[in-house]
Amino acid sequence: MERLLLVDMDKCTGCKQCSLACSLIKEDLFDPHRGRIKILKREDIALGIQLLCEQCDAHPCIDACPDNALSRNDDTGIITVNIDTCSSCDSCVKACPYHGIRLHPETGKPLICDLCGGDPYCVQHCVPGALCWIDATDDLMKQKKKLRSARMAKYRDLKKEAAK
Amino acid sequence: MYGHQGQILHVDLKTGKIWTENLPEEWRQIYVGSRGINAKLLWDYCKDPEITWDDPRNVIIYGPGALTGTTAPASGRTSVTTVGCTTGMYLKSNTGGHWGAELKFAGYDHLVVHEIADSPSYIHIENDHVEIKDASGLWGKDIIETDTLLKKWHGEDSRGLYIGPAGERLVRAASIQCSLYHAAGRGGGAAVMGKKNLKAISVRGTQPIKIKDPKKFAEVAKEMRELLRADSGAQSLHEFGTSGSIAGVNELHAFPGRNWQTGYTPNVHPITGQALNEKGYLKRRVACFGCTIGCHRYSVIDEGPNAGIASGGPEYETFGALGNGPGIIDTEGVLLLNELCNRIGLDTISAGTIVQWAIESYERGVLTKEDTDGLELGWGKLEETIKAVEKMALRDGKLGELLGDGLKIATKKVGKDSYKWAIMNAKGLEQSNVETRSAKAYALAFAVNPRGNDHLMTETFAEFGASPEAVELIEKLTGDKKWASPHFTEYRAEIVRWHEDCYEITEALGFCVFTSTAAYGVNPDNMARLYSAATGLKMSEEELMLSGRRVVTLEKAFNVTRGATREHDNLPWRLMHEGAASGPLKGEMNSPEELKEMLDKYYTLHEWDLKTSWPLKATYEKLGLKEVADYLANLGKLPQ
Repeated sequence: MERLLLVDMDKCTGCKQCSLACSLIKEDLFDPHRGRIKILKREDIALGIQLLCEQCDAHPCIDACPDNALSRNDDTGIITVNIDTCSSCDSCVKACPYHGIRLHPETGKPLICDLCGGDPYCVQHCVPGALCWIDATDDLMKQKKKLRSARMAKYRDLKKEAAK
Repeated sequence: MYGHQGQILHVDLKTGKIWTENLPEEWRQIYVGSRGINAKLLWDYCKDPEITWDDPRNVIIYGPGALTGTTAPASGRTSVTTVGCTTGMYLKSNTGGHWGAELKFAGYDHLVVHEIADSPSYIHIENDHVEIKDASGLWGKDIIETDTLLKKWHGEDSRGLYIGPAGERLVRAASIQCSLYHAAGRGGGAAVMGKKNLKAISVRGTQPIKIKDPKKFAEVAKEMRELLRADSGAQSLHEFGTSGSIAGVNELHAFPGRNWQTGYTPNVHPITGQALNEKGYLKRRVACFGCTIGCHRYSVIDEGPNAGIASGGPEYETFGALGNGPGIIDTEGVLLLNELCNRIGLDTISAGTIVQWAIESYERGVLTKEDTDGLELGWGKLEETIKAVEKMALRDGKLGELLGDGLKIATKKVGKDSYKWAIMNAKGLEQSNVETRSAKAYALAFAVNPRGNDHLMTETFAEFGASPEAVELIEKLTGDKKWASPHFTEYRAEIVRWHEDCYEITEALGFCVFTSTAAYGVNPDNMARLYSAATGLKMSEEELMLSGRRVVTLEKAFNVTRGATREHDNLPWRLMHEGAASGPLKGEMNSPEELKEMLDKYYTLHEWDLKTSWPLKATYEKLGLKEVADYLANLGKLPQ
C-alpha cells in the first residue's frame, strides 16, 4: 500500500533529531546542515518549521534545472539528482515552492529527501510524532496538504516579518 | 577526532588575544567532557585561592557535552564553570537550549574566557573566525532586545548566550540566558560575565561531528531513545512539563510555600503544568538541541490586561519559587514574574527565595517600610512581588541594593537573626524548591553539594521509589528495596554517592540529567557503550563511573582551596531546627544530629577526613589526582 509522510508543525519541538538522523544515515556523520530535512527554528516564538521535498505533482525544480540533472519517479514522486551533470547553480533551490531543497555545504549538490527509498530514517527519531510515516488514505492526503499549507503560510509570515 | 571536535578555544578579553589548543587526548579518558573537562580547566587556571570571582584571573568556561550535537537523545546540554560569586567557591551551572551544539559545530569542545574587557564587549564565533566585538550597542538591553539585535547582525541561525541588566549590575541572582529562555541560572555566573564586561557570546558553526562507529552508535542511541519513549516520567515531562509534578509533590506535603513555612497548599492547581495546558496558556512544547522528550514550555497570555506577555516556561522551580513561595497561587501572576526574570536575566530560584526572605523579614518587622522603599511586602501580593524582583534585578533603591547582593550578604547586613529564615546553607546559595526535611537523601545531597544547596549537582529522585526502575536501582545500591523511601536515613550516603557519579557522567556527555536520574532511559552501561562507539575509546561502565567520582573529588578539592570545611556541608537553619508544618512527616527536621550521622557515613564512603571533610592523600592518589594532592599539601590541607 502507498504510504505518506505527515509533517505536523504544531508537534515539532525544534530538537533537530530529524536533520541529525538524516546526516547520519546519508553521510555517517552529524551535521544539521546536511539533513535533507531541515528545521527553520525561531527561538523567540519557540517555533520549528520542517522543510523538505514534498514529492509534489508540479515539481518545478525539474523544469528549472538548466542541466537536466533532476529526474522524477512518477510512481513515488521521488526526485533523483544526477550529480555528474548538476552544476550546483541553485536554480532548483529557488524553484522549490516548499523551500525543501538546499545545497550540500561541501559538494554544492542539491540535498533532496528521497524518503530513504520507502522507510524514512528520520521518522523513528521523532518521538513527539511531528513526523509520521503511515498508510495513505484520501483523508490523510488531505490532511497532509492542510498541514503543509499551514507550514508554508507560517514560513511566508516569518519571511515577510524579517523583510520589514 | 571522533565525538569531540578536539579543540579548546581561548579568548583573552583584556589583550584581545584569541587562540586554540588541542584537547589533550588523555583528558577524554580521565575527565570525558563538559562538566569534567571544565572542572580540570578551572583547577588549572584558578586553583590559587587568591583568585576570587571578580579577580581578572578568574576564567569562565563553557563546555557542551562530549556527545552534544549527535542523536544521543537529550544530549544538547552545556556546563558553565567558574569561581562563583554567590558562594565564592566552585560553580558549575548547566543549561539547555541550542547554543552548546552550535559551539560544537563551530569546531570547539570548550571555550575559556580570560580576564576583563576594558569596555562592554561580546564574542562572535563563526567556525574559525572569532572576534571580540564592541557591545556598547547592547549594554543595558534586556535579553529579548539583545537577541533581536545579535540575530539581525549575525543571522537568524546564530545562537546566543546572554546576560541581561541584572548580570551587568553584578546581581548575585542574575542568570546567564541561553537560547533566550534556557538558563545557566544558578550561582551568579552572569555576574562573573558582567564583571568581565562580557554581554554575549554569539555562535554559528558548520563543522560536522564525526563518529568512530556510526552503526554501533545508532544502535545504542536507539536503545536509549526507545527506553525514554516508553518511560512514563519522560512522557509526563513532555505532556505537562517539569511543573506537571507539582500536584503530586503537594500531596506529599513537600511543596515549599511561604518561605518553607508550609508544605501543602490547598487549591494548588493554578500553579501546575496541568493548568497551563487547560487554560490555554501553553502554546508549544519545546526541546533543547537533540532532545526527544521536549519538556520545555512556551506560554502566552492571550487576553486581558496582560495580553501578549510570552516567554519560555514556567518550570516547576519557578511555580515554586515565585508562585507557591511568595503565596501567588495564580497562573498569570507566575507567568508575569517568569517573563520578567527571563527578560531581565534573573534566576527564578534565587530571586524567589530572596523575595520570600524579604517578605518574612518585613512581616517580622526586621525590614521596615523605609528599607523596602515604601513597598508593603506580604504573602500573595503580586504587584509588590513584581516590584521587589525588579528592584533586585536593577539594584534599584535601598531594597534593590540589599536584595541584589543575595541572601549570604543581605543577612549579614540586616543581622537580627535573619539568617534563621534565610533558606540557604553555609555556602550561601539560595535553596531550590525541595522539602529536604522529608527526603533524606536529598538533604544529604544538598548539604554536600559543592555549589550550595540545590538539586543540580546531583539528584536522588530514586529514593522516592516512584517507579519500578527507581525501586530496582535502590535495591541495587542498598541490597534491599525496602530502602526506597525518602524517610529513611539509612543508606542515604550510598544512594547519594552513586547518583553523584552518575549525574556527573550524564553531564560530561551532555545528556540532560532527567534521562538518567528522573527517567531511566540513559544509564552508566549504555552511556559507556555510546561514548565508546562515538570516540573509539574503550570505556567500560566502571571506568566511566570512576571518571565521575574523579570529577566530584576534584570539585570538592577546589572548594577545599577556598576554605570549605565540614561546617559548610549543612542545611538552612530553618530546615535544621524547625519541623515540617503538616503531612505524614509533620514536625520532621533535618536535625544537626541526623545530618551528622549521614555525613559521617558519606565522608567515610568517599574516604574523606571526618573532621574537616577534606579528601585524604590516598583518595586523590587512587583517582589519579596526585598533582591536586601535592597542591593541597602545600596549602596544608591534605589529611593523610
